[in-house]
Amino acid sequence: MKLLYKLLVGLIISISSSNASAVIRIEASTQDLAAIAKSVGAQYVNSNSLTLGTRDPHYAVAKPSMIRRVHQADLILLVGADLEIGWLPLLLKSARNSRVLPGNNGYLDLSDSVRLMDVATGSVSREMGDVHEKGNPHYWLDPRNGSKIAQAIAKRLSLIEPAHAAEFKANADAFSNTLNSKYAEWKKALQGLKGKPVITYHNSLLYLAAAFDFTIAAQVEPKPGIAPSAASLASLLDIIKKQNISLLLKEPYYEQRSSDYLQQHGGIKTVVIPQSVGAKEGIDNYFDLFDKIVMALTKEG
Amino acid sequence: MYYSAFLRQLTRTVCVFILFNSAVLHAAQNSITNNPISNLNIGLTALFSAGGSTVDNATISDLQAGGHDPAKNGFTVQNVELTMKATVDNYFDAQSNFIFLIDAAGETVVELEEAFLTTRQLDGGLQIKAGQYFTEFGRQNVQHPHSWSFADQPVILSRLFGGDGLRSQGLRLSWLMPTDWFSEFFIGAQNAKGETVSSFLNADGEDVAGYILTDRNARDSSDLLYSARWLNAFDLSDSISINFGISALQGPNASDTDSNTKIIGSDLYIKWQAINSQRGFPFVAWHSEFLQRDYEALNQTDPNHQLLSDSGYFSQILWGFKPGWVVGLRIEDAHSEGDNSSDPTRDDRQRVSANISWYLSEYSKLRIQYNRDEAQHLVDQTADSIWLQLEFNMGSHAAHSF
Repeated sequence: MKLLYKLLVGLIISISSSNASAVIRIEASTQDLAAIAKSVGAQYVNSNSLTLGTRDPHYAVAKPSMIRRVHQADLILLVGADLEIGWLPLLLKSARNSRVLPGNNGYLDLSDSVRLMDVATGSVSREMGDVHEKGNPHYWLDPRNGSKIAQAIAKRLSLIEPAHAAEFKANADAFSNTLNSKYAEWKKALQGLKGKPVITYHNSLLYLAAAFDFTIAAQVEPKPGIAPSAASLASLLDIIKKQNISLLLKEPYYEQRSSDYLQQHGGIKTVVIPQSVGAKEGIDNYFDLFDKIVMALTKEG
Repeated sequence: MYYSAFLRQLTRTVCVFILFNSAVLHAAQNSITNNPISNLNIGLTALFSAGGSTVDNATISDLQAGGHDPAKNGFTVQNVELTMKATVDNYFDAQSNFIFLIDAAGETVVELEEAFLTTRQLDGGLQIKAGQYFTEFGRQNVQHPHSWSFADQPVILSRLFGGDGLRSQGLRLSWLMPTDWFSEFFIGAQNAKGETVSSFLNADGEDVAGYILTDRNARDSSDLLYSARWLNAFDLSDSISINFGISALQGPNASDTDSNTKIIGSDLYIKWQAINSQRGFPFVAWHSEFLQRDYEALNQTDPNHQLLSDSGYFSQILWGFKPGWVVGLRIEDAHSEGDNSSDPTRDDRQRVSANISWYLSEYSKLRIQYNRDEAQHLVDQTADSIWLQLEFNMGSHAAHSF
């Protein structure tokens, strides 16, 4: 009887620890985070994204295939600041995986590792559109935040797999170094944009503006998430004329009609900004992302 | 392998309960919700409609048999629903839905629609749900009226599950299977008594096909309603996903002391979403369900014993053609064996519905729907109705479920 008990306990332990030396399965809420995690975790991780870079991650739905992937994950990476509020809580609830629930090592909200802009002060109402009270969640579009994200992921991977902590740290440092030197090149390439006012479609490019020293005069959307009307486009034409604005930046998934209208009547040029890894072909990692953004801006600017 | 996983699970479950009983509470969870302290999400959603039909109010209520359907000429308060959701502690999530509506007599009605908890910590892909909840049968039955794609409940669901959908008190276990695709199996037991379990023990004095129901109560575990469901889901590509489910119910009915009811169903849901969609648009979603009921009226030993057989389907296609805008088309059929041409709950019935919905934001919606009914029991055999629907949401952000 005692022997049987020992065998049983041994079996239970061996099953629970059988994953210990396996590859860490990462499910990120966006392709940007998945790509950075891949750079940091290298051969020790299998890093995938739950959403596609071609779509706005806020409007993703909790598909069964995503539930299955979260069920098997060792680590969930999220952008945070309520970007995933419509679907991630539901996924976590359905996935039956206590490792990745908030508070555990398998749950990493990367908005905690950067300084968010546009954090709401005073009262916030839904009358103001899709305002994120906790701050604007599009922070991956500042390459300086890319370094912070990489460091935070390295720290967390080290908690999950301490044996490779030194490698994770070295990978994150190498990633940051490359990013720093590339950031200097990108800044140089976009020098012409410095101080210039532009219009963006959604309030999603303020981190990009901060990184490359241009200013955002207005948005095509009258309020975040609210479609432009004839009246709002007309008042935008006023701003374009008064401030002599020549560029409109928009993500590929936003409609084209409003930008065509503003181009026709305001003489403004539209630059499509691939906002995420995977948004356009050829953007496979975080460096590609800024290479392509800079290319788009230098061609048109 | 599965045995040992099961043992591990058992040990874990026992531990969880011991921990729970000794009130050892873990550190508070980080919040992924609005309120970081209590984690409580509170939301209110209200659904109103206005419209009318070519038939009078008494006849509309037969056609619009859903408890939350627009069912009279003029205005209807379909469903005002207060939802509370929270993580209870390290072990459970919980949800509660209270419904308020104003009935045809102008009286305010309150219903405890759902109040249940689900486990958070079971291993092996297992989850237990306990409390009062919608039975996981098909796709539509568990959906609340504000998330329906049409203004009213499908005819066959009203017929087999009653106006409020199939819901009751009980317990269910679900297993997310370790397959290469999404595969989930549900098995559950619920009380069979009450007006929300209409094909089973239902309520004393109600009638099914002219059989007046007795006050039959559960005598032992064989008098409970048992349910099973198997749901499979696949992504055919980044744009196309498919859900396919089969469901079954077995339980006693109150036409006699030993009579039973069986219901089976299958459901298919296919959704396409553009690879570069804006706010989730454009998309096309096709949702179909088929249901079949065998109802033993009176005991088999009774000379008047009869097996009532009812079946039907609905099939609806939704096209989100630009951000915020969706057009829908639904066709339905319901019928039963035998001559039931004068019984509005069992006659031959077809309905075609077309609608257009405008989601002004994630928090408000306008919809206009046209229904063309063809039903044997109607004097003219047909009826035409138009319903305008308005919905608003306050409080916590609604979930984007597939």
